[in-house]
Amino acid sequence: MNSKSSTDAPIVHVENVAKCYSKWSLRGNRRVHALKGISLEAARGEVFGLLGPNGAGKTTLVKVLLGVVRPTSGKASVFGRVAGSKFARSKIGYLPETLRVDRHHTARSALRFYGRLSTMSTQQIDKRSDELLELVGLQGRDREPLKRFSKGMNQRLGLAQALIHDPDLLVLDEPTDGLDPVGRSEVRKVIERLSAAGKTIFLNSHILQEVEVVCTRVAVLANGEIRGSGTIADLAGKQDADVVLVDVCFDDEGAAKQFIEGASESHPDLALALDPNGSPRGTHRLVGKVNQQHSVDQIVDLVRAGGVSITRLDVKRPSLEDTFMKLVGKATREGSGS
Amino acid sequence: MKPYLAIIRDSFHAALSSRVLWIAFVAIWLVLAALAPFGYQEDLTADFRGARDLENRSRLRGLLAQGLKDPELADTAVGRLAAAMPEKIAEELADVSEGGETTLRTSEYADALNKCLDDESWYDKEAWASTLRLAELRELDELPDGELDESMRRRRARLRIEAAMPGVFATRSAKSITLTYAGFDFPAELAVDKTRFVGIINQLVVPLIIDWLLGFILIFLGILVTASMIPDMLQPGSLHLLLSKPVSRSMLLISKFIGGCAFVFLCVIQLVVGLYLVAGLRLDIWNARLLWCIPVSVFLFSVFYSVSVLAGMRWRSPILAIGVTTMFGGICFVVGIIGGVFDGFVTGPARIKSIAVVGDVTFASTQGSGLIRFDKDSNEWVEIFGSDAISMDRIIPPVVIDDDTIFTARTKGGRMNPFGSGSADLLVLSADNAWEPEPSLSLPPATVRLYKAADSLLTLSGSNLNQTDIAGVLAAAGEESAGESREEKTPQTPDLTGGLLGRLSSMLGVAPTGFTSVLPRGMAVAPPRVLILSASERELYLLSRARLLRLVRSEDGRSWTQAAEYELEGDPSIAGVIAVSDAVVMVSRAEQPIELFDSKTLEPIAQVDLSDRLLPTSVVGLGESRFMLLTSDGRCRLVIPGVDVENAFILSEQVGPTNVEAIAFHAEQNLVYVAHHTDQVDLLNADDFSEQGAISPSLSVWRRVDKYVIGPLRFVIPQTGELGETIGSIVSGKSAITMRDASGEEQVVRYDILRPVFSCSLFIGVMLMINCIYFGTRDY
Repeated sequence: MNSKSSTDAPIVHVENVAKCYSKWSLRGNRRVHALKGISLEAARGEVFGLLGPNGAGKTTLVKVLLGVVRPTSGKASVFGRVAGSKFARSKIGYLPETLRVDRHHTARSALRFYGRLSTMSTQQIDKRSDELLELVGLQGRDREPLKRFSKGMNQRLGLAQALIHDPDLLVLDEPTDGLDPVGRSEVRKVIERLSAAGKTIFLNSHILQEVEVVCTRVAVLANGEIRGSGTIADLAGKQDADVVLVDVCFDDEGAAKQFIEGASESHPDLALALDPNGSPRGTHRLVGKVNQQHSVDQIVDLVRAGGVSITRLDVKRPSLEDTFMKLVGKATREGSGS
Repeated sequence: MKPYLAIIRDSFHAALSSRVLWIAFVAIWLVLAALAPFGYQEDLTADFRGARDLENRSRLRGLLAQGLKDPELADTAVGRLAAAMPEKIAEELADVSEGGETTLRTSEYADALNKCLDDESWYDKEAWASTLRLAELRELDELPDGELDESMRRRRARLRIEAAMPGVFATRSAKSITLTYAGFDFPAELAVDKTRFVGIINQLVVPLIIDWLLGFILIFLGILVTASMIPDMLQPGSLHLLLSKPVSRSMLLISKFIGGCAFVFLCVIQLVVGLYLVAGLRLDIWNARLLWCIPVSVFLFSVFYSVSVLAGMRWRSPILAIGVTTMFGGICFVVGIIGGVFDGFVTGPARIKSIAVVGDVTFASTQGSGLIRFDKDSNEWVEIFGSDAISMDRIIPPVVIDDDTIFTARTKGGRMNPFGSGSADLLVLSADNAWEPEPSLSLPPATVRLYKAADSLLTLSGSNLNQTDIAGVLAAAGEESAGESREEKTPQTPDLTGGLLGRLSSMLGVAPTGFTSVLPRGMAVAPPRVLILSASERELYLLSRARLLRLVRSEDGRSWTQAAEYELEGDPSIAGVIAVSDAVVMVSRAEQPIELFDSKTLEPIAQVDLSDRLLPTSVVGLGESRFMLLTSDGRCRLVIPGVDVENAFILSEQVGPTNVEAIAFHAEQNLVYVAHHTDQVDLLNADDFSEQGAISPSLSVWRRVDKYVIGPLRFVIPQTGELGETIGSIVSGKSAITMRDASGEEQVVRYDILRPVFSCSLFIGVMLMINCIYFGTRDY
């Protein structure tokens, strides 16, 4: 029973965490609320994405999880222990956004150094280094000084050092930053593989497509608050209905307007309208909002009942970017309004 | 510990990859390469080197003139030497003895004597038989000429000249060192033997090099290089990664701190090991203590680095870290200077040099040539002569005559040379006269010490020992005893005031009116020398140039005759201290075991080991064959007979206070007066050394400022400059350095070893604590 509950327990648990920075200057004490009572959870094996514009509080939240910053109020725990405790840190592999490894290192010596910081033995480090260097594609270049490394190679090394002690939780801050498309794809594969191996991944990224592809759950942060969290589908569903685009052939503009007026009266829930952005030559584009397949069928029936030909029909689901922009836009408006 | 060792090791790697480190390495190698060609040659001391060797020039002229003019002296050693002088000198000697001015320079006398070293036609065995010959000369005289090489022959000639004219020449070691550079001789030879040479290298040269190269240049370079370490670590990409690892913040910072010292350590280890090897291979000085400079230098660096770390953490800027650290260095320097000024002008001159106790009144002479009397009513030292840092005068340590009289003297300009700038008057201080100094007889020239011997007063003047009646001195000062007329008490001395004899006598340092020379004919008390009288005041023990003599006063009290003699081993130029306690005479010299002798026969009784670190400063006999020895570490120890074993003595642990300046024993009171901490005096029972009283004078305004402002300031702000003394002490293995001033007086300058170490350690500890708290509680 216990083992089950410990397996089900969230790996990352953040409850009402607030962080307020005080800056003292001659002009007085200035307080900045970086986090305003945030709560979230990440379960074992989950790839949790943290999204938000610059200054939203993402980095502060990551720092709270690493113990670099102490929360002003609230609780944050990792593996059931206080975030920042030695035990918690020993279970975390962290890849910072801008990794800075001393120039005197080679990839191998850097891995040795970080391995030792994680209390690994030399044999363990050597064995693990070989595996990881191959995993991140740095084998054969492991004895070159780091000053010869490109940004992408540095990033790969960063990923390798984050994995050196085989952590159960990976905190990745912009892991694909500086990587070419091939490199990005490789990192994605690594993340998927780790996730499949039961590791929990906490991903902080600006690249929404990447998050969309790899994350099982996301949280959108803005102005120090969580604006939405859950699976990507959940987030999208909560925010908006699907959009139906129908390209039809009316005889003239008047017929099109007449059709819209009639449809609005008979089916106001479909919110049918002519697309203000125009349509392909010789057609008119109708735009409607639907929540279910039945509504799509109703639109088709309405158009066909009017004897109008359908040249194309497309049902568009809102993307993460749309959802993000909406959430963040709302937050920004609220923020500016307040 | 593994993660922290990894951080330290990583810092070493970082340091080794630094270009600046390699530039420093090359600079160090160049310095060592420049020092490596130094070498030395050791030879027997023969040539006279001008004014430095001819210490008492007027006595030289006087003796030579006497030898030249007095037909009775023609066949004596001095007569033969005088006859061998070149014409130019002979003319001047004749001229001088008739009242003319001296025109020839000392170097010309030295040249003339040096010529005598090559041509020994002046030597006559019989003539020299009556001279006092050093053991070295006696040994050389016994060797056949064929067995002597040139340098030994010249050395023998020099010793013969010295024996012929005692009291003229400065004491020089038997061997001299000539420095060489890449095989070329330096023009001047050092008139020191190998032991002294090693001492000079260890006590002066190496600490100087270490002070400058390690204490200043390398520290500054180290600060420049390491200033960026902490700001670099605080870069987000580096710090957050480090802090995400399971390491403690405090330990991370301390590891980084230790790692930061890696740079200096790597440089220092090369420089010090290099110096050690150069000194060993080239100068034969294998001094492993030199290697202690490595940790001391890193320790010194860590003082500054702790400031650099705090500034680096606060502002995350290497430039600001360097700036703040340099400012801190400046503050240390300024506080050090202020402290030095206070030491030199406030506490230094007030330090007690000798104590004299008259009844219940305590007198003391001070380092600043002052004479002070303790006034119980006001609880302060009353100045009879003020202590002054820049005073050129010399106070002769006061001597107790009776229960209400002391004698002393003040030689104007006496610190510049033993003669001062004129003859000094004996000063009589008596209770009846409210301790006001009353001038009495003129002292013989170059008088440095006074001794009371029953009803006579002895003066150690130059190389002479003169005597006068105390009653005569008192009479001359107007302190006539009831019923005694001044004329009756004035001692009868030959009229030396006029004529050839008078002139020569004056040049020979013979006493003016009222004094008679009491040494046996041909004997001179050549420096380094020290005298002590027995409790009965009828026996006199004299240690001069490693010869221990016992002189006994004649029944009429007019002369002293030699009763026993013992020649000590070791370099005769080493000074010592002497004391007598019942039937035992104790002699202690630097780097020699304490030696104890039978007071009658001067046969050695026992030896007691004394650490080479400790230089004997003063010793008093406490009766019952016990002695109290004051050493250069400012501590007193007892030399007492062993409990069960006959003729065995032991050295006790420290007794009494620390920072002792001077000691004196008052037999009647059975009290030892121990002056300590500048001008405080503890009165210790001479049996159990329990404190029977104390003199704790109230402080003057400046002394208060020193105690309550400067002292704490010097404690709080680490005195890094003083670590140079610690290095000097460690390298030389001594607790003090002996300096001989212009008047020939030896001064022991105590190394302050523990204060800078303690204050620097405390500072580093506090700074590290602040750094750890700052780093541990801050959000990054």
